[in-house]
Amino acid sequence: MRTFLKVVGFSFCVILFYALYASYGIPQVKPEAPPVEEKLNLGSMTMDQFIALGDKIFNGKGTCTLCHNPVGGRAPILDSVASMAMEHLKDPRYKGKAKTSEEYIKESMVIPSAFVVAGFGVKGTNDTESPMPNVTTGAIGLNEAEVDAVIAYLQKKAGQEVTVKIPTGAPAGKDEKAAETAPASPAKKPEELVAKLGCGVCHKIAGQPGVLGPDLTKIGAARKEDYIRRAVLDPDADIAKQCPTGPCLPGVMPKDYKDKMTAGEFEMLVKFMANSK
Amino acid sequence: MKISRLLLAVIVIGIFYSFFKIFFGIILKQPIPGSLFTMYMFFIIIGVLLVFSFTEQGAKELMSPIKDLLENPEKMMMRNVVFGIVTIFAGFITYQQVKPSFEAPLELRTIHPAPPSNISAYNKSYNLLTLENPFMKYKKEDPEKFKQLIYEGGEVYFKNCFYCHGDKLDGKGHYAHGFNPLPANFMDVGTIAQLQESYLFWRIATGGPGLPKEAAPWLSSMPVWQNFLSEEEIWKVILFLYDYTGYVPRSWEKH
Amino acid sequence: MKFSKKITLTFFIILFLVLASPIILNITSKSSVFSLQPLSIVLAEEVKQDAAAAPAEETAVKEDKAKPAYPPAPKLKESDYPKVKGFNGRIVIWLAAQLHLWFAAFVLAVPIFVLIIEGIGVATKDERYDKMAYEFIKISLTAYSITAVFGGLLAFSLIVFYPDFLKYMANIFGSTMLAYAFLFFAESASLYIYYYGWNWLKHGFKKWVHLTIGLILNAVGTTLMFLANAWVTFMMSPGGVDAAGVFQGNDWAVIHNFLWNPINLHRFVANVAYGGSVVGAYAAYRFLSAQTRDEKAHYDWMGYTANFIAIAALLPLPFAGYWLTAEIYAYSQQMGITLMGGVFAWLFIIQAVLIGALFLSANYYLWCGMGRSEGAVRYNKYIKYIAFVIIACFLVWFTPHTLVMTQAELKALGGPYHKYLGPLGIMPAKNTAVNIMILFTFLSFLLYRRANKVATVSWAKYGNIAQTAIFAGAIINIVFLGVYYGYFTNTVLKVGSSVPQVASTLSVIIFCIIIDVLMFKGAKDVAPLKWGNVPDRSQYALFLLAVSFTWLMGLMGYIRSGIRQHWHVYAIMRDNSADAFTPTIGYSAQIVSIGVIIFMAIVIFIFWLNQISSKKA
Repeated sequence: MRTFLKVVGFSFCVILFYALYASYGIPQVKPEAPPVEEKLNLGSMTMDQFIALGDKIFNGKGTCTLCHNPVGGRAPILDSVASMAMEHLKDPRYKGKAKTSEEYIKESMVIPSAFVVAGFGVKGTNDTESPMPNVTTGAIGLNEAEVDAVIAYLQKKAGQEVTVKIPTGAPAGKDEKAAETAPASPAKKPEELVAKLGCGVCHKIAGQPGVLGPDLTKIGAARKEDYIRRAVLDPDADIAKQCPTGPCLPGVMPKDYKDKMTAGEFEMLVKFMANSK
Repeated sequence: MKISRLLLAVIVIGIFYSFFKIFFGIILKQPIPGSLFTMYMFFIIIGVLLVFSFTEQGAKELMSPIKDLLENPEKMMMRNVVFGIVTIFAGFITYQQVKPSFEAPLELRTIHPAPPSNISAYNKSYNLLTLENPFMKYKKEDPEKFKQLIYEGGEVYFKNCFYCHGDKLDGKGHYAHGFNPLPANFMDVGTIAQLQESYLFWRIATGGPGLPKEAAPWLSSMPVWQNFLSEEEIWKVILFLYDYTGYVPRSWEKH
Repeated sequence: MKFSKKITLTFFIILFLVLASPIILNITSKSSVFSLQPLSIVLAEEVKQDAAAAPAEETAVKEDKAKPAYPPAPKLKESDYPKVKGFNGRIVIWLAAQLHLWFAAFVLAVPIFVLIIEGIGVATKDERYDKMAYEFIKISLTAYSITAVFGGLLAFSLIVFYPDFLKYMANIFGSTMLAYAFLFFAESASLYIYYYGWNWLKHGFKKWVHLTIGLILNAVGTTLMFLANAWVTFMMSPGGVDAAGVFQGNDWAVIHNFLWNPINLHRFVANVAYGGSVVGAYAAYRFLSAQTRDEKAHYDWMGYTANFIAIAALLPLPFAGYWLTAEIYAYSQQMGITLMGGVFAWLFIIQAVLIGALFLSANYYLWCGMGRSEGAVRYNKYIKYIAFVIIACFLVWFTPHTLVMTQAELKALGGPYHKYLGPLGIMPAKNTAVNIMILFTFLSFLLYRRANKVATVSWAKYGNIAQTAIFAGAIINIVFLGVYYGYFTNTVLKVGSSVPQVASTLSVIIFCIIIDVLMFKGAKDVAPLKWGNVPDRSQYALFLLAVSFTWLMGLMGYIRSGIRQHWHVYAIMRDNSADAFTPTIGYSAQIVSIGVIIFMAIVIFIFWLNQISSKKA
């Protein structure tokens, strides 16, 4: 029995020593908590995460940077939109209902023509009509929470106080999920594909009203299949002379469409455009 | 007079203790930090005890003075004094440990934190697992161009980096002394020689604020260089760093 | 007659090598039939390969249809993880898995060296070996049922706490899980025949039947472990699935994922070392409670043998571990740096301390063992030098690259790095230290071997010179390589020194053993060797070895699993439970300690069971 107790005591002391050494002998680093996924329900989100979500939408799904970038000059840079908002609201050309910068940004996203920054309107309308689509519809289709996230991001970016409240209702990215599952099955109709790729954000094509890029409703009359094929895969190879808002610029159209369709879809799209006469 | 084995053991431990203190502390002027020194001494004491006790006779001799002190009725006075000293000493140690001090708490900073698998810079997302230096291919394909790129990288370095990281890339630039932690010393075998190029790209592009929490981003004053340099410039300066130091970026060739 | 015995023995060894080491075969042939994957898998794989080959040439759409539809990895929410009041799911799984692993490692390891010891017994015709082998297997038999109990507990707790994860894994590993279950029957059957048939199959030809059963037992056991390893390594380095986690239908690809072979080798070697250490603890326990001289002598000898097995397997273990780490780095830099440079870096300081404890206690045991004979006294004076070198290497080994310093110390050093000790923190220095530590442990063993003997061969003097020269040469070589590669050149891999260093260490061990065996053939004894004549302290060294080993396994197991961080399956299936966070070192050490206490309690219970069962009424 003595041996038994001695052995148990000895083993216990050794284990205790190791445990104490590991707990107190060396510094305790607290590892970072796992990164939060945006698809978590908004209720548990901190404001920083909400802003980060806005950042991601702004640069990704929202396709905002397609136009709001320093290269193309198609749309104003939004770095300080939140601080400029009050000035815009006082502008005599303003015809919306917003009172605060938050409301102004939201309005600009849903009813873009409420105020058009000078020089960025659709050509010939004298800056009364904006070429920007309503971001809550069509190919972009942000939901309310996502719009709020983008507003929070823009306010933060301008160094303004973030006034947006994190919505507690429906989970963000509900539509996102649908969009994610869509590519799994190839589109069957050209219209479907055009809607999926979001061509209509810029181009007038297949019933979509884009006014930024060249009108593609009669492209088949002017161009052959080979040209269309190249123009989709490598947009900067040939630049059309005239876009609705001014001369067309290189580097505006994304170059990654080849990764976004299957070969079958691509052929279908090319055929569709070649036949649009 | 024959010195007892216990005393001998204590002397041997004392010799090691003073060796570390004198050799590192006074001769090399690089004292060993307390936390490490404690561990060193702990294992030296264990080692000495093992050596002194592996034979039966040796163990007996080692323990005999202690046993004698504890059991011999004639040494009661001595015993009481020793117990008193031990108690006071233990109390002193405890006091030293718990007394309030103005010492700042220990900084624990991971110098090479694990990189995230994806980073975003330049409004793009980079996969650090597969990211490679786009200019590395010229090393074989076009050595002349490669040399030119390194030269350009050097220019970037001396226009931007050398103020802190030093003209010899040893982390001893003009401003270095104002920083804690010090700017990285690229000549050290423990810095860029141990890392992949993608890691450097991450550190340069996102700077101090891009560090994960465990690496105390608020301590690093490294600027977020993506705001000042182009992507190409960062890759070029990476080429320059490796060229100047003579190290080769870490990579795991396919075996 | 004797000649034929030798041939049979050789045949037996070859057979063992062929069957019991699928590792070798795995490396050489990826899909060989010999690689001991269960037949069902081989067949399934062939069928699937055929099936996959056909539509490959056709269009992409058709290929999608030809494949069996496997679901992608589910994206879980916190509410998908069932909660049981009063239990923390992760801790339950953690302890169940760890305890299962400890017992499984022990149970798989014991038959390996029992078979070897039994073989030695047959070869030397020494009855003692047979008796010892039997006693070893007896301990593992009780542990076997406990292994199964914990395996069941693990499975149940996975069902309770992580049902979706288990479902996903079952989708991919369904066939291997079934194969595992069937193999478990085979394992049980062969173990029971091996144990209960020991006396029945003791003599003559029957002994060979018995050895063959032992061989089958080991082959099945090792295969079982390899299968389970596949599940674990799949979680770390998933193969055979696409980015969304959709299984591609090839069983072999998911089994033979990136880290499978490194883990196989590492676990195989570590299990043997671990098994040896636990059996050593058993012998120590019996030694300490022995009443008679004979009993003491027997258990002393048993403890010595077990310790020898543990140390023999411990020596190559750092190399296997090194390979595993290198492969982890190669698989993912993120995982590699999390492991070595990030939050887990401090765990490696603890690991260094523990492995140092292993080496020190093993050496101490050998030194104490020299007291078994009067003849060993002449070597006692060398021990202090060996101890000095081992301690010095050990100090190098656990010197961290990043030092914890107070502000005053930082100022005194002028920076976060120590100018002279900092370089000891990187790999070449540590490799050098560990190689020298291994060499000097081996030297302790050599001294122990010759403690009681005087060589009688005429060339003994030259033999000694040769051994000294080999040792000196290797040490110079190792230090040179370490310093040169570590500090004066740069290599692409930065670890270019490790392979030649390991090679020198291994060749020293091999050559010195050969010389030693030849030199001490027919050597005369200086004084009688008295088994049982060792101090009790040495037995506690054996206990320290077993406890440290167990604790170390628990800790390293945690690290291996922990570097996945918040992933169930790395980069494929995310852990979204409340416990997805990586805990601090102290927290995990406490859990591991609790596990070790439970384990030791059960183990001592098993020892006690064996003690009462061997008591005669």
